[in-house]
Amino acid sequence: MKKIVILVTLLSNLYLINAQENGSFYGGLESNSQWLQTDKGLNFVAPEDQFRANNYVLMNYNLGKFTAGAQYESYLPSGLLGYSPIYDNQNDIATYYFNYKDENLDVTAGYFYEQFGSGLILRSWEDRQLGLNNAIKGLNIKFNATKDLSLKAVFGKQRYGFEESAGTIQGIDADLSLSGALNIESVDIQLGASYVGRYQDTNGNEALPTTVGAYGGRLDFIIDNFYAGVEAIVKDPDVIVNEEQISSNKLYDGTALQVNAGYAKKGLGINATFRRLENFSFYSDRFAEGNIYNQQVVNYVPGLTKQQDYLLTNLYVYNPQPRLIIESFDQRSGEVGTQFDLFYSFKKGTSLGGKYGTKLAMNFSYWGGLDAEYNIENRWYKAKFIGKGHQLFRDFNLEIKKKWSKNWSSVLTYQNVIVDKAIVEGGPLGKKSILANIGVIEATRRFDNGKAARFVVQHLWSEDDRKNWAAGVVEYNFSTRLALYVADNYNYGGVDKIHYYSVGGSYSKGNTRLGINYGRQRGGLICIGGVCRFVPSNTGLSANLTVAF
Amino acid sequence: MKKLIFIFCLSLFSLNAMAQNDLPSVDLTSIDGKTIVLKDATNKDGITIISLWATWCVPCLKELDAINDIYDEWQEETNVELLAVSVDDSRTVKRVKSMVNGKGWDYTVLLDTNNDLKRALNASSIPLTILVKDNKIVYKHSGYSPGAELELYEKIKEFSK
Repeated sequence: MKKIVILVTLLSNLYLINAQENGSFYGGLESNSQWLQTDKGLNFVAPEDQFRANNYVLMNYNLGKFTAGAQYESYLPSGLLGYSPIYDNQNDIATYYFNYKDENLDVTAGYFYEQFGSGLILRSWEDRQLGLNNAIKGLNIKFNATKDLSLKAVFGKQRYGFEESAGTIQGIDADLSLSGALNIESVDIQLGASYVGRYQDTNGNEALPTTVGAYGGRLDFIIDNFYAGVEAIVKDPDVIVNEEQISSNKLYDGTALQVNAGYAKKGLGINATFRRLENFSFYSDRFAEGNIYNQQVVNYVPGLTKQQDYLLTNLYVYNPQPRLIIESFDQRSGEVGTQFDLFYSFKKGTSLGGKYGTKLAMNFSYWGGLDAEYNIENRWYKAKFIGKGHQLFRDFNLEIKKKWSKNWSSVLTYQNVIVDKAIVEGGPLGKKSILANIGVIEATRRFDNGKAARFVVQHLWSEDDRKNWAAGVVEYNFSTRLALYVADNYNYGGVDKIHYYSVGGSYSKGNTRLGINYGRQRGGLICIGGVCRFVPSNTGLSANLTVAF
Repeated sequence: MKKLIFIFCLSLFSLNAMAQNDLPSVDLTSIDGKTIVLKDATNKDGITIISLWATWCVPCLKELDAINDIYDEWQEETNVELLAVSVDDSRTVKRVKSMVNGKGWDYTVLLDTNNDLKRALNASSIPLTILVKDNKIVYKHSGYSPGAELELYEKIKEFSK
């Protein structure tokens, strides 16, 4: 605590002598608060702390090659609903750092964010909407050895709430531009290699490995309009931990393989990805495996599906399944699947293009569990490379954007989605699935002086789960600063015909933005006044304020 | 009265802080995987628009599509350059190249996959559009609504003088 006081005093003193030097002070404030209300229609009972807020203040000072900063966070009286309870009733300086950076060397001491390759082996980052901040507290060194070779090294413990993880992370990464080094012009080839290890005290249990390492390699190349890449990672054997208990003393290794390829030229873009994960979860504390709050995760394993834009297209989404579990009530060993994207622009003047052109985006993704045999008594399993495992998620969607005139434009979206019920509700995979078809029409009308109106009509057809839904949004921009909206998400096909209504607005000027909403929020992505945020499910009044300085 | 003086000083303080807003010295990646130093990528004789966007951010795509339609006119009149910085992380970054080409954008696209620039600008939401002159930030606007690009252009012309 004393150290922080000294740091903050130093920062403010440095700021005062700013006029003579060439330094700059910058940062920001973000405050997200909610006042929850009991809602009988939604079966929602407001918790004891009805008013909740997550507040962040970030301050940085930069002088030449040196930068220092600190982030203060407060979760008083409790953090927002749905965030990890370790934050409740706390407030403190959460992260601080000291950095030196020149053309070849970049060193940070304190809390830092880093990523190796795609992040599949190591990624520490902050996402306030997710309540995720797995910054590493220690030392980060980045060094450009030559113009083609860059090296990175990390060492430290991960942040866990206002404390640190039980395990210590160490890692090195090398990135080489092979075409640059060998002076090849026609093809661009990049090679990478990483090692990340977690050291954790085993408390005398000799069956557990003290250091678990992951070793990865990646290759990317670009030839004219065509590009492709592959990344493969192998993880040392470790025990399975399920709900903070070690399943057995048996050790299992893990693998990850990701292949990506695409073609892009003006007017057309195609991209395809294949990924297979087997027992691939990596935490800085082995007992944190599988926690629902995204805490202490060492790497980044996102669901490779399209991020949908509307209320109803965000109903059935996919959560990736990299874990290995061998229990009588649940057997799973990983996932395998693919995602495909196509983007195309019909040129202006053609019959399908019209006067202003038409843009088309098509996406398909398929994810399934690994096809494996399990022997529960012996805690043994064997998985095929692809095989025919349970279908967990399949999504086909199409989006057509068209500008009709100077004042009118529209977006037409269609989605056909199948998701395994356990992905949505939890439980063992492969029992039942939900099939839904969704259609959305959005139209925008522009007026003068930055005024505009936006209308969205959506419908979801399904014979499973909560059956049919209908939704609509009307948003009006009084100027480029002020916007108001009214929305309703109506589950008319469900047993309780619930209306998830909401009303709100936003005001933004320069460095400040304020958003206020009231109503029932069904969790998902909501865009208001030109900005998109992820909103967790709740009933009540919420306010979001951001100021950048 | 004391309160007024205090508020006055506070606003001078924040205005002062704003006036010294240097462009953060962050390294980004080009769409072909090369490391780009942000300060070297900005326009040397004219305004640079730096727009933070992502493939999943609908208003960001609307803003960049709208500017794309009138980009050549803007460049002819003011010599402005737009750097479209994608904050897509590894989940969606592979779609950036195909999307940018599929839409036929004429901008220089840079990747900020670990969100270093987003953090340095304290952007809690996107789109965030800033105007940069001589590597100093002169204007910031967060969010997009139809017609905002016209207001942005007025600012560009103002700073281009």
